[in-house]
Amino acid sequence: MARVIGGIGASHAPSMEHVYDAGEETRRNEEWEPLFGPFEEVSRWLGELKPDRLVVIYNDHMDEFFLDAYPTFALGVADSYPVADEGFGARPFPPLPGDSKLGWHIARSLVADEFDPTICQELEVDHGVISPLPMVDFAEGDGAWRIPIVPLAVNVILHPLPTPRRCWKLGQAIRRAILSYEEDLSVVVVGTGGLSHQLTGPRFGAVTPDWDKEFMRLLDEEPETLCDYTHEDLIKLGGTESVEVVNWLAMRGALGPGAKAQVTAYYPHKIMGYGLQSFAVAP
Amino acid sequence: MTDATDELTPEYLERLANVEPRNLPDDLDLFHEDTATRGIRLNRAAYSLKHPAQRELFARDEDAWMEQFALTDQEKDLMRRRDWIGLWRGGMTIYVMVKLSGVTGTPLPEIGKQMREAG
Repeated sequence: MARVIGGIGASHAPSMEHVYDAGEETRRNEEWEPLFGPFEEVSRWLGELKPDRLVVIYNDHMDEFFLDAYPTFALGVADSYPVADEGFGARPFPPLPGDSKLGWHIARSLVADEFDPTICQELEVDHGVISPLPMVDFAEGDGAWRIPIVPLAVNVILHPLPTPRRCWKLGQAIRRAILSYEEDLSVVVVGTGGLSHQLTGPRFGAVTPDWDKEFMRLLDEEPETLCDYTHEDLIKLGGTESVEVVNWLAMRGALGPGAKAQVTAYYPHKIMGYGLQSFAVAP
Repeated sequence: MTDATDELTPEYLERLANVEPRNLPDDLDLFHEDTATRGIRLNRAAYSLKHPAQRELFARDEDAWMEQFALTDQEKDLMRRRDWIGLWRGGMTIYVMVKLSGVTGTPLPEIGKQMREAG
């Protein structure tokens, strides 16, 4: 049977793509080392852990889904996920390998648990997936991805959004889906987005480090308390676009009792509170 | 006889009231019923820019590009003036605005500067 062997929470942002694509020298410079150094640490840890699959809980930024029919939860069941063109031309990465069989199983299990996702046989993934992923999983020299993914997109754009509590329960349902999968696979669950950022209106650029650090502490030590926060609370604390942190909460919900943060890194820089947190699960 | 699901319990009413933010200050807007309804044309237009052919048309003939989306005169004016906070107030989300920033060659920090100063 399949197992959950770890978790990762990571910010996603186009800025991370620009820095990654600029090459190793830029990643290691004084400006970006505080973020990319911890990513290297997580990448090494993942390299030792050698998971067979990643389930990536993220949000699309109107690169795949549009307002004609905006899905609350959308699950990929494909064997391949091309990189989306976000308006500037797609980044030159090969499509990410998927696992349709695991995807379909998760779909059935979620529905059995009264979560009813939009099921996607085709899905282009945007920076919600591929801004953090190359830092932990891309074999740069080989130009290839190492670990097949199952992506799950959460609506954090068009209100009403699924509540934080709902996202926590979604994570728990994803855990059950993994544990009930017949193949002997090890899975790391990834949640992307946040932390604080405000990209609209007169407060453009606001970052709130105290709250971001408190969020990561709560996610580690008492994650269920985050279920009591409303979107209004999250927006006031971290900015309109910071509600993406529900993706981290879903990830945490999938780790089961006894999970513990290992790397916790935080770097407020320019218009983003960048966060990175890896979790070991109880044996 | 009323069914149990007909009962509007205090617990349900509280959940309903909290599902969408309702007490945000004016400078923290939301993308929801009002803004999504108001912004649908602007969002459709800017979303199209994920396609290279639309970006080429934008570069070649911005008015012809705009004609495709039934924009109002006011919306076209906001576009032509690169009035970012006006577009935002018109219901354009930041996610498609980023695509517009690409074709107009306006870096995000510049959009942000205008938004901050206009506030």
